[in-house]
Amino acid sequence: MPAQPTTTESLTQANVGIGWRHPHYAQLLQEQPVLDFLEVHSENFFGQGGAAIAVLEQGRSCYPISLHGVGLSLGSAVGLDPWHLDQLAQLVKRIDPIRVSDHASFARGVFQGAVVHAADLLPIPFNSESLNLFCSHIDQVQDRLQRRFMVENLSSYVQWNAPPDEAAWSETEFLNTLAQRTGCALLVDVNNIYVNALNTSKQNEVSEDNALDPEKACRNWIDAIESQHVGELHLAGHCHVNDAYGDIVIDDHGSRVCDAVWRLHLHAVSKFGSVPTLIEWDTDIPALDVLLLEAAKARVRV
Amino acid sequence: MSTLAAQQQALLAALFHMPAENATETIAAYAQYTGARGLKAYQANGHALAERVLRAAYPVVTQLLGDESMADLARAMWHAHPPTCGDMAHWGAGLPEFVRHSEQLHDEPYLADVAAAEWALHRCATAPDALLGAAQDIASFALLAEHDPGALTLHLSAGVALLGSAWPVADIIAAHQASLPSADSLQSTFADVGQKLRDQVAQDTLVWREHLAPRLREAMAGEVSFLSALLAGHSLGAALEASPALDFGAWFPMAVQTGLVLGATLLVVATTADTDVT
Repeated sequence: MPAQPTTTESLTQANVGIGWRHPHYAQLLQEQPVLDFLEVHSENFFGQGGAAIAVLEQGRSCYPISLHGVGLSLGSAVGLDPWHLDQLAQLVKRIDPIRVSDHASFARGVFQGAVVHAADLLPIPFNSESLNLFCSHIDQVQDRLQRRFMVENLSSYVQWNAPPDEAAWSETEFLNTLAQRTGCALLVDVNNIYVNALNTSKQNEVSEDNALDPEKACRNWIDAIESQHVGELHLAGHCHVNDAYGDIVIDDHGSRVCDAVWRLHLHAVSKFGSVPTLIEWDTDIPALDVLLLEAAKARVRV
Repeated sequence: MSTLAAQQQALLAALFHMPAENATETIAAYAQYTGARGLKAYQANGHALAERVLRAAYPVVTQLLGDESMADLARAMWHAHPPTCGDMAHWGAGLPEFVRHSEQLHDEPYLADVAAAEWALHRCATAPDALLGAAQDIASFALLAEHDPGALTLHLSAGVALLGSAWPVADIIAAHQASLPSADSLQSTFADVGQKLRDQVAQDTLVWREHLAPRLREAMAGEVSFLSALLAGHSLGAALEASPALDFGAWFPMAVQTGLVLGATLLVVATTADTDVT
């Protein structure tokens, strides 16, 4: 059965939200600040009963909810986990979220003869084999959920080789084609684009190539995405790590959005229009007021 | 095997193999930029997640072991028993047996049973809500005065679990969970638990949910066989017959007050199983 896409209007009717995490459950329900939606991680509410799902239902009575998954493993060569998809479908039915999403990544695979789940957003190669598999999994998800799904670009710390008999695809070609073929929407994480550009820039410094300015590379990335597919933007903080193992930028969602990502957000809004924007903060979670200030900053732009 | 599957297996091997010194070589055939630093980021993320998840599910085991040992245990568990599904609330179920067979923890023989009870508490927190929801049906208790116990049964709270141990597990966990008013009472409580440990006092532990909060206490005399019979679907009468040691008159009001019992209901048809639960 073909998926029933949500309308463009329903994808964009809410404007600015925050990631709603455990430290802010009670305060947010009590104070009910002005927000257009709340985002939660789907897997945190797979339990069928108890306090967590009760809190989410309370939140749902006050705000639209965006269900954002981190474990569906849409790019996995061993297929989707039917149990995981069932849990997500039950949660979607219970919460009736405004949007449902996960990442262009994999986590499930075979290790020592058994299927394991790495509980991380591991990169997939951008080629036709990977695209065909990803499209079939998105079809499967949209059929099961009976709604349009969104797929997010990720920060990647490993870049795969292109197959010997195929020209390398860019990430944006991959995502545009995925959206065209499946009707899914794209969730553009602006911070992830910037983190990837910074790390690429560091690699190029090492190899002494002509490094492209990271912000320029990000604007090119945004410009290459077809606007009609974009359903949400994500903003978050990242950190620079320089230790005995080397120099890297990590997408840790543990600080304020940096100035460069704010500039890129403005560029994204000018390209994609007033799509919903989410402020994510998942480690070293600050006071709720700090998130609300970041949300207010985003609201001015969208 | 497809190229994609081979790539993914190689990356998973690089992340889960222990020791991980050869991780970069493991994926070198498939990646243009293996960046040892990048792999280290994924490995560190996995270790941090493992530690965070186990600390949340096993707070008392964490207190007993200390932060550093718990981090080592989480890392060892991550590599020996990687997650098998995308809901990390399910990962860690194997820790009690992992601890039981750990040579380093051989001198802490009670630790595995403490871990088993903590896992029951952890799963209890998200167990499907009981048939009646979290709310009690107080009016239904009138059935107890109106009908023979063999014709009715009791509804228990969500997540009820019973765990037997040769160690004072319930007291160990309660002592570490307690918010005691003074240093003296804290010292007294831990001295009492320490003595029970030295005396190897066996305890049966009961886990249940009071409204939305998981609870744990030592089971009363006869309570294990009584609740086991009810959980198996037997009538109240059959459960009482199976549990002569239970003081039902004392147990029932306490069980209602603490949310262990949510209501009573008439059995539609008595089964042959009701006559034989021992």
